[in-house]
Amino acid sequence: MYIGISAYNHESAIAIVNKNGELLDYCKEESLSRIKGDQSFPKRALKRLIQIHNIDSSIIEKVIFYEKPLSSFLIPLKIASKSLPGSLDFLVHQLRNFKNSSINCFLDLNKFMPGLENKLIYIDHHLSHTLTALLYSKSQENICSIVVDGFGDRSTSTISFINNINNIRELWAAEYPYSLGLFYSTITDFLGFAINEGEYKVMGLSAYGNENSPHARLVKNLIKWNDITKNIDTEMEYFSYHKSVSNSYSEKLTNLLGEPRNPFVPLMPDDKYFQKYADIAKGAQDSVNMILKKIFEHAYNLTNSNKYLFSGGVALNSACLNSLAELSFVDELIVPPSPGDSGAAIGSAFYGYITSNKKPRKILKPSLFPSVFNCNEQLEQVKKIISEKFELISDCHHSALQITSKLIKNGEIIGTIISNSETGPRALGNRSLLCDGLNKQAVDTLNTVIKNRSPFRPTAPAMTIATAKKYYQIKSELKTCYLSMNATCKCIDNNISLDFPVTHIDGTARIQIVEDESILDQLLCILKPMGIEILANSSLNISGDPTCFDLIDSLMVCSLTPLKYLLTDFGLLKKK
Amino acid sequence: MKLGCFDLMKEKNILRILHETLHAEHGSALEMLAACKATSRDNLVYGYFEHAKDEYIHTKTFKKILATRIENTHVEIARNYRFTPIGIIKKGYVDNNGFLIETLKLKDFVAYVYTNELLAKKSFERILKLIKDNKRDFDSILDIMKDELRHHGMAREYFLKYYPNLQPYHLFLYKLRETIKNKTRRIYYKNIEFLEIIFKPLYSLLALLGGYLLLKFNHYHFYRENINLMDISSKSLL
Repeated sequence: MYIGISAYNHESAIAIVNKNGELLDYCKEESLSRIKGDQSFPKRALKRLIQIHNIDSSIIEKVIFYEKPLSSFLIPLKIASKSLPGSLDFLVHQLRNFKNSSINCFLDLNKFMPGLENKLIYIDHHLSHTLTALLYSKSQENICSIVVDGFGDRSTSTISFINNINNIRELWAAEYPYSLGLFYSTITDFLGFAINEGEYKVMGLSAYGNENSPHARLVKNLIKWNDITKNIDTEMEYFSYHKSVSNSYSEKLTNLLGEPRNPFVPLMPDDKYFQKYADIAKGAQDSVNMILKKIFEHAYNLTNSNKYLFSGGVALNSACLNSLAELSFVDELIVPPSPGDSGAAIGSAFYGYITSNKKPRKILKPSLFPSVFNCNEQLEQVKKIISEKFELISDCHHSALQITSKLIKNGEIIGTIISNSETGPRALGNRSLLCDGLNKQAVDTLNTVIKNRSPFRPTAPAMTIATAKKYYQIKSELKTCYLSMNATCKCIDNNISLDFPVTHIDGTARIQIVEDESILDQLLCILKPMGIEILANSSLNISGDPTCFDLIDSLMVCSLTPLKYLLTDFGLLKKK
Repeated sequence: MKLGCFDLMKEKNILRILHETLHAEHGSALEMLAACKATSRDNLVYGYFEHAKDEYIHTKTFKKILATRIENTHVEIARNYRFTPIGIIKKGYVDNNGFLIETLKLKDFVAYVYTNELLAKKSFERILKLIKDNKRDFDSILDIMKDELRHHGMAREYFLKYYPNLQPYHLFLYKLRETIKNKTRRIYYKNIEFLEIIFKPLYSLLALLGGYLLLKFNHYHFYRENINLMDISSKSLL
């Protein structure tokens, strides 16, 4: 067995790969601790996986950590040292938090299972992203991998070429602190949203912005691609993330863009300052699009490749993928379902498998639902909660689906908690909130009443490939991305889809093409004769909480929100 | 309305307390949810589920109270009171070693709930005094206090039912123990704050020296250009 760990910086996670090269299980710590963005050592996830798969320490061959901890600790310190004495607080904070840094993984492992720390090895951070992305590609040779995130080990973006699985060569890197990810996070912070959590909101907000507005133009001047050095140029005097603990931006940015948004004032499309903030978001989004295009063009010049893997936190920016797929040299673009740091645990685990087998072996593509769970695990435990608060409408899978479909037809919203959980942040049907994608009232209720989301954030549609082709400009280059809801696409010109409630204000939608035999596919089969071919699909959670993992989490969401129906492994529940 | 210096300090103190309480309530919700998942007895699972639900509602109430009080404050002040879930761990409302149900015996956990709900009610009484000028917030906190008292009663009932050998004075002892623990915890943190003031110059000096030393450190040696990433030593931390 090979255990991959990602922890200490973003959502921590554990992945286990068996000796046959299969991803046995994957679990995020936040799924169990219920603390959104939990970055602590994933002890609960590790304990759960070891218990449910009966793993003995003797069969664990290697534990692979997803970065080089000393690099990722020292390099920010070195960069901050250049700004001394202004960065003194930052240095004090980092040095005092030494024991909370990833260097501590060795000790945490020892505390969890003494002896396991001796099997610990470390992998280059961007390599762990590359390997994660590679698993979802059919071919594992002659592909270019582009990783763009906030910061990893020493660099913030890299281009590598995969000759074969044992020969992955790095060709270009953007060094810290010049970071596209940290630039976007800073704008997120300026707009009053939480870093590492509110980036989706900025992406949604940007659709309302005007690219030619003064604010958008000012933001676009903050980060550029230097055609001479072939690298990212950031106007660092506007940023403080590299030298301050509490501020990601400097006073100069406030002087440039005006007062930052108060995070406690709700942002509504009719508000006085809404347009200003939307324009800032638009400027940030356009910068990301432009620089990513330049990185891809540079990658093409270096590798001549037509196949690309794209991962790292910035790959979660689904709004940029469509324009990347439009680049003439891109034939295929693959983004893994969890391109961020938590997904890097998967690549790390596979690194152990690959390097332990001298003969090159093919690696098996992981499922989109690798986190093992079944509601029956907890059924006995929650008997009283169900009998007091719910009614089991149907305990037969087939009839539960039939009733669910009728309810959706009647404008109801359904929560699902079916079998294994998704890898990434996007719910793909097993941990979803679903309703008729063309029923405006139902979509609005799902978005603003149940999820309590800002009204400027769109809800994603799920459909079959045949339906998608009728309404949206599907790009063959992004076909794998659509399976995991990783890319947006434009509506067909003058098509009725422009008026769908699941289409965003800019005429795009982050569509999900459903996998054959998946729960959504089964539902759409029943719904089609009823005239419904598009489902609105959002993750089953309350805004600010992690997506539900187990049955108790989902019962809690039902109890705390107006959600009435829950489709489970053992049937359909209705709240009393 | 412009606030005077004293009023501003008072308002900041209220915001700080609300911000802390918000984290504490969310921490309690997670503790109860964890307890619900970790127990198997029907009534206990149900009880903890309901308790967690109440705590989630309290969190929402405190979020609302904080947001209303803060929305007219200067943005640079407001930014300091943002709620982030991981703040619960950083602030110590959920222990890094695990939830209480994972680290305590069930009996001790019930005793902890029994005493802490009562202590929480007392701290809400202090908050009530601070926000008495706002009737809506005042009423919301009164409702929360009723919930805390109910949770305390339920824990007591459970305790006496499942541990009949324990007498009410045992509960008093548990309460006393928790009160002393809370007081010593406060003394400990005050002490830490005091030591911080004393040692800050030393930390700064060390960081300054460390920083200048780091400037000599040549990290370009560790760059990977044209290197096969699969060949890099997996034992190396750099």
